[in-house]
Amino acid sequence: MGQEEDLELYRLQLLESMSERPSHSGRGLLDPIQVYVNERRVGELRGAEIEATLNIHGVDHIETVQLRTEDGRLLGGLVAPESGFRTNRVGLSADMVELCVHNTVQGGSLSAVFIPAPSFWTRTRSLLADIVDRWRSRRPDAVMAYGFRTVAFTQALLAIAVVGLVADRVMIWMAPEHIIAPTVQAEVLRTASIGEIEQLAKQLRELRSMQTKVGEALQSQEKGMTLLHQTMARLSSTQESVASSVVMVKEEMEKRQESPERETDRPTQFPAGKGLVDQEQFEVAIHGLAADNERLSKQIAGLEEHNRMLTAKLQTAIAHVAKAVEQNPERVVAREADLSRKHQLVPVADSRQSTQGQPFLFWVTFSEGTTQESIDQWVNGMKGHKGAQNEGWQEVQILPPPVPPDLFLEQIRGEKIIKEARLNH
Amino acid sequence: MQNTLRKSHIIADRTATVSRLEEVVATSDEFDQVVAQALPILLDRAAGYTKRFLRETGQWNDDIEHEKFALRWGSEYLERFLVCGRTEVPCRPLFLFDSLVAKQHSRPEPFCYHPDLLKPLGRFLDGLVARAVVSRDALIALYHHSYGWGAGDVIAVTGLNGLESQRIYKNFRRWRESGWQRTMDEIGLTKMELAELENQRQRHRQRFNSEAERLIRVAQGHYRKSEPDHYPCLSRSQWGEMFSQGYGCDYRIWHLALCLDCMQTAWGLGSSGSSAGEKPRLELQVRP
Ligand SMILES: [Zn+2]
Repeated sequence: MGQEEDLELYRLQLLESMSERPSHSGRGLLDPIQVYVNERRVGELRGAEIEATLNIHGVDHIETVQLRTEDGRLLGGLVAPESGFRTNRVGLSADMVELCVHNTVQGGSLSAVFIPAPSFWTRTRSLLADIVDRWRSRRPDAVMAYGFRTVAFTQALLAIAVVGLVADRVMIWMAPEHIIAPTVQAEVLRTASIGEIEQLAKQLRELRSMQTKVGEALQSQEKGMTLLHQTMARLSSTQESVASSVVMVKEEMEKRQESPERETDRPTQFPAGKGLVDQEQFEVAIHGLAADNERLSKQIAGLEEHNRMLTAKLQTAIAHVAKAVEQNPERVVAREADLSRKHQLVPVADSRQSTQGQPFLFWVTFSEGTTQESIDQWVNGMKGHKGAQNEGWQEVQILPPPVPPDLFLEQIRGEKIIKEARLNH
Repeated sequence: MQNTLRKSHIIADRTATVSRLEEVVATSDEFDQVVAQALPILLDRAAGYTKRFLRETGQWNDDIEHEKFALRWGSEYLERFLVCGRTEVPCRPLFLFDSLVAKQHSRPEPFCYHPDLLKPLGRFLDGLVARAVVSRDALIALYHHSYGWGAGDVIAVTGLNGLESQRIYKNFRRWRESGWQRTMDEIGLTKMELAELENQRQRHRQRFNSEAERLIRVAQGHYRKSEPDHYPCLSRSQWGEMFSQGYGCDYRIWHLALCLDCMQTAWGLGSSGSSAGEKPRLELQVRP
């Protein structure tokens, strides 16, 4: 029984919160509006006092579009048609979001535009634009037109007054002194001194110049508006091209994904059939591509390094085999120890100073027909001198080379006059 | 006698309202008006459909937990109908409503069903994570409820910049002021159930948290499908790159809130090492 009451209470609570909706009071002035397509969040509209647009293109059909506040309140939305367009304006107190959905066989697209409530300046601007329009089309109606007609009317009145005064003066000049002017004329005479006439004319000029200024101001305003419109048009076309390149990138990614190589560890995997994008996801996609690229180049570098190491090892192995053939095993071990000490010394110690006392010895045989002269030249060229001779092998002493012995010998072997080179006879 | 008379009145009223719902409404205003008078009928109808769906998929049990579950989803559908249906005019509201619910139930997993998610702790977690999908306030609050963090911690852990930080503070404030209570109301957790959860948390901390971890994984796994499409789990180095290069702000906020494992993986990347102590473990908080 208690459970049933509990359930009924819950039901009433749900109904109560439901009948409070929809309420738009929850959205702060600067809070973004979350946009959902088919119950998935696809992005947000950040519009405070400026227009903001979100364009979504996907391979999936759009079924529903929903707008929500940061606290999750449903502000509005629409149910999309199977194919074709549908638009809806969602009013958010004073602001507004214009939704336009388009479903085709290829997929669905959505454009959501946040249109802010007109601020004081936008209101003023649109009023001025309105004036420009009326001014240009010379439709003598509504508020401003009334203003202009009033101005024109005043002007006409002044002109009549001036004409009247001038006529009066002419009459006065022409009329004999003794003619008694009617009282009205006398009044005019008294009030309309030359100064006053001049003043009236001056006012007239001022009025005219003011009119010109207003005209100029309106014209420059108009130019500003045209510029603004052009900028807006450019902006929206840029936005469109960004959106279409996003789609291209996405398609590219999907093609890549179809190749069955890695499965889970890719940062930019797009499940086929689902594809809604926003700016940030676009960035992620690009970064993902860059990361993949970098990883590939790292792998290549690693392979090259590995290759180099293998070659070096091979050479050492060859040298060891050669040694083993001609020496007994114990000596090989001793030599190896010796060798590794040299290996350590070479990179650590400054070659000239610390190793001057220990010259580097190696043995060479020369190519056939090499003269003694060119042998001497070669030895001098290395700042070395000749040592013992044994069975056609010549011992050479030089300062320790800057490269490891194996590599050094390899370099020596490459020279024209050298037939063979080794560390020990 | 009077009672039966009142009952028959109610039934007559209901019949009249239903037949009004079957007629064509021409404008959005008319739609609002007709539907506003029929909320109880529509809620029961949606709950009934959900119940039938659960029965047909072998997920039903005759108990209050299942009844509440059906009501909760019924009210979700009704909410969407109220907002989106008014753009469908001219239409017959009742048929539109039926087709909308049928559409929801034809989706692959329309809701997160697991018997353990129907008990108070499970309902709490399911409700919290489900709310995080539609409310950014709730999403950010998940960091607090999962690990006990404040706004500053969230900003440090996810490596946000100044502009985003301001928003996090706002999210926290709104959640404390109203979001948490509204969510609890929506899941139908009573004061007593909440007090009992709090009690368990304090008295059997370890057991409470390990059970919570098991359940929140179920819920996160389901609701992560509502993340923008390509927000998969990442490796440490991939997270590291994202943090160090400062992109994927939305990715970080969404995924890390909804994935315990990636939170462990990405731990210490955001705060440039300052809070890179022990990896965070689930420390479920009941209160906001
Ligand atoms: Zn993850």
